[in-house]
Amino acid sequence: MSLIELRDVRKIYRLGEIEIRALDGVSLEIHEGEYAAIVGPSGSGKSTLMHILGCLDRVTEGYVRIDDVDVSRAGGDRLARTRNEKIGFVFQSFNLLPRLNVLENVELPLVYSGVSRAERRSRALEAVGAVGLSDRTHNKPNQLSGGQCQRVAIARALVNNPRIILADEPTGALDSKTGRTILDLFRELSQRGHTVALVTHDANVAAEARRQIVIRDGKIV
Amino acid sequence: MKFLMGIGEGFREIRAHKFRSFLTMLGVVLGVASLLAMFALTEGIATGYREVMSQMGGLERVKVRVEPVPAHQESIRELSPGRTYKDALALRMNAPLLSWVSPELDLYLAVRRGDKAETFEVIGIEEDYLHTERHNLEYGRFLTDIDRRDHNRVCVIGRGVIERLWEDPEAVPLGESVRIGNEFFRIVGIFQRYESERDKKKRELRAKEAPPAQGPGAKTGKRSRWSTFRFKNDVVVVPITTFTTVFKNTKQAGTPDEGAELKLDDLNVQVADLNMFEEALAQIRQILMVTHRGIEDFSVETRQEMFDEMNAAMRNLHMSFGIIAGISLLVGGIGIMNIMLASISERIREIGIRRAVGARSGDIFGQIVIESTVLAALGGVAGLGAALLLMKLLVAISPVQNRPVVHMSAVIMSLTFAVGVGVLAGLYPAWRAAKLSPIEALRYE
Ligand SMILES: Nc1ncnc2c1ncn2[C@@H]1O[C@H](COP(=O)(O)OP(=O)(O)OP(=O)(O)O)[C@@H](O)[C@H]1O
Ligand SMILES: [Mg+2]
Repeated sequence: MSLIELRDVRKIYRLGEIEIRALDGVSLEIHEGEYAAIVGPSGSGKSTLMHILGCLDRVTEGYVRIDDVDVSRAGGDRLARTRNEKIGFVFQSFNLLPRLNVLENVELPLVYSGVSRAERRSRALEAVGAVGLSDRTHNKPNQLSGGQCQRVAIARALVNNPRIILADEPTGALDSKTGRTILDLFRELSQRGHTVALVTHDANVAAEARRQIVIRDGKIV
Repeated sequence: MKFLMGIGEGFREIRAHKFRSFLTMLGVVLGVASLLAMFALTEGIATGYREVMSQMGGLERVKVRVEPVPAHQESIRELSPGRTYKDALALRMNAPLLSWVSPELDLYLAVRRGDKAETFEVIGIEEDYLHTERHNLEYGRFLTDIDRRDHNRVCVIGRGVIERLWEDPEAVPLGESVRIGNEFFRIVGIFQRYESERDKKKRELRAKEAPPAQGPGAKTGKRSRWSTFRFKNDVVVVPITTFTTVFKNTKQAGTPDEGAELKLDDLNVQVADLNMFEEALAQIRQILMVTHRGIEDFSVETRQEMFDEMNAAMRNLHMSFGIIAGISLLVGGIGIMNIMLASISERIREIGIRRAVGARSGDIFGQIVIESTVLAALGGVAGLGAALLLMKLLVAISPVQNRPVVHMSAVIMSLTFAVGVGVLAGLYPAWRAAKLSPIEALRYE
């Protein structure tokens, strides 16, 4: 059985009279351990799709299953638990909490899964080490470069050891060289067995991914 | 566990916005301070009332009053001898529910010592008087039944008499004589000085600063303000028998306006047990109905009404102060709510991030409520400090008669109120924050 399954998913925004079909009948399966690149022109619905995969948003129509959870019908707390345990999400704009230091930011998902303080510390340190930031654990985000911020965000996505890692243009705010190191990290994660799906504009990255999902006008082509 | 973290989170938030948090707390600080001040002030006033009431003999003291004969008994009015000494004897003999019975005669008379003279209330009394009036003897002895039997010309005087006839207000002139009317009386006892706690402190302070001026021309103690205490201090008591022979001879039994027997100027009794108050009153009425031969020319006056009025006044005071303090706490609460609302719209992105990594909407709700409660509790503690300081200041400088009193229960109540306000003020912002979907919160700019 596939890890992620979408069937006839529609996401429709209604702005007064106008109806925007951000996703218009998407069916898709992603298997355990896959490394998928999602590509397509601007406004085609890539971010909308990622938000639905990440349980951040709800579909207007259709069926979505993540692992064994029917998230198209699950309640808010069930979605929160799925986000917490099964998914690590990396944003284009990092989305770190400015008042917390690196370690505290990385610990955040563990706080909400009720892990003890000592274990939080050790697991966060491990994740920060995995992205190569062991020497910056007590810095605040505004004391870090963009690439370092994104690495903290990746450490946060990893810390609860989720099966799925989703990233929406993780290199969009970075220069190409820094972006390269970030993408290397994702490939490494994929090689370690995580299921990775990322939105990218980089043709090289897309070529490197074993699978490419092309989306246009809310439909997979 | 999560709860403790929430508190830590709350403190972090407060530290991050010190000035804003301070302004927010100010409302609660003032609210709690005024709440506590109100408790303390009303408690002070209540203490003052209780002091006065106790000096006046408390609820146990009951007075037998003379009343006009009712119209339907007008034709047989001659049957009643009126309020006489025999009433006192009858009550003492036949009313076991009364502990003391004090018949009194009184006149305002000139009291002289050397070339000084002042008018005082001079009262002819029996031994029970000491108890019904709640007098305390400081020096010498009280009047006895032997004084009464022998018609001794002895008296016990209040501190007010000494303050105005002697140079030294603290003098102890036992054994000396004063002239009351035209007769000399030997002083055998002196009552203590009656004063409010506050006056006492003031006097002791004055005495420490400047030892009383002595010698000719020195000012003697001036009359204290009108008060229950003054009535109790400015008094001269003599045996009732001596009083009759020396001062009331013109009103002796047999004179036309007094009827066949000597009439009392006052008759006060003390009820032994307040639980049997109504029964005691009935007993008094029954006995006096016999001695007055069925003529209803008397009434029994209790302090009940007066006490009820005072209690009602205290309740009103509590209420109006309470409303004022409540309003300021409300204002404080609205301040907190306002700040929390501002703080969440500033932090919608943060809320979105927390939701994205797995926070449930309940976690967000709890976090906001805890934050606002921590804020209010801190404000409450600060308000407590401010109020206690304010009280110190008030006690030290204010000329208010009724010194504020701070009770532990008032402190706990005020703090509870503050925390309650914090919780309530947090509910709406917390609900607003918690109902946002993760993606809405993340998209928020
Ligand atoms: N909250 C919203 N309300 C209304 N329309 C929306 C909303 N979010 C997205 N859309 C619309 O849905 C469509 C798909 O948007 P989406 O953000 O998924 O595109 P995208 O493929 O991620 O584009 P880009 O590459 O520029 O990020 C767009 O037409 C967008 O205008
Ligand atoms: Mg996008």
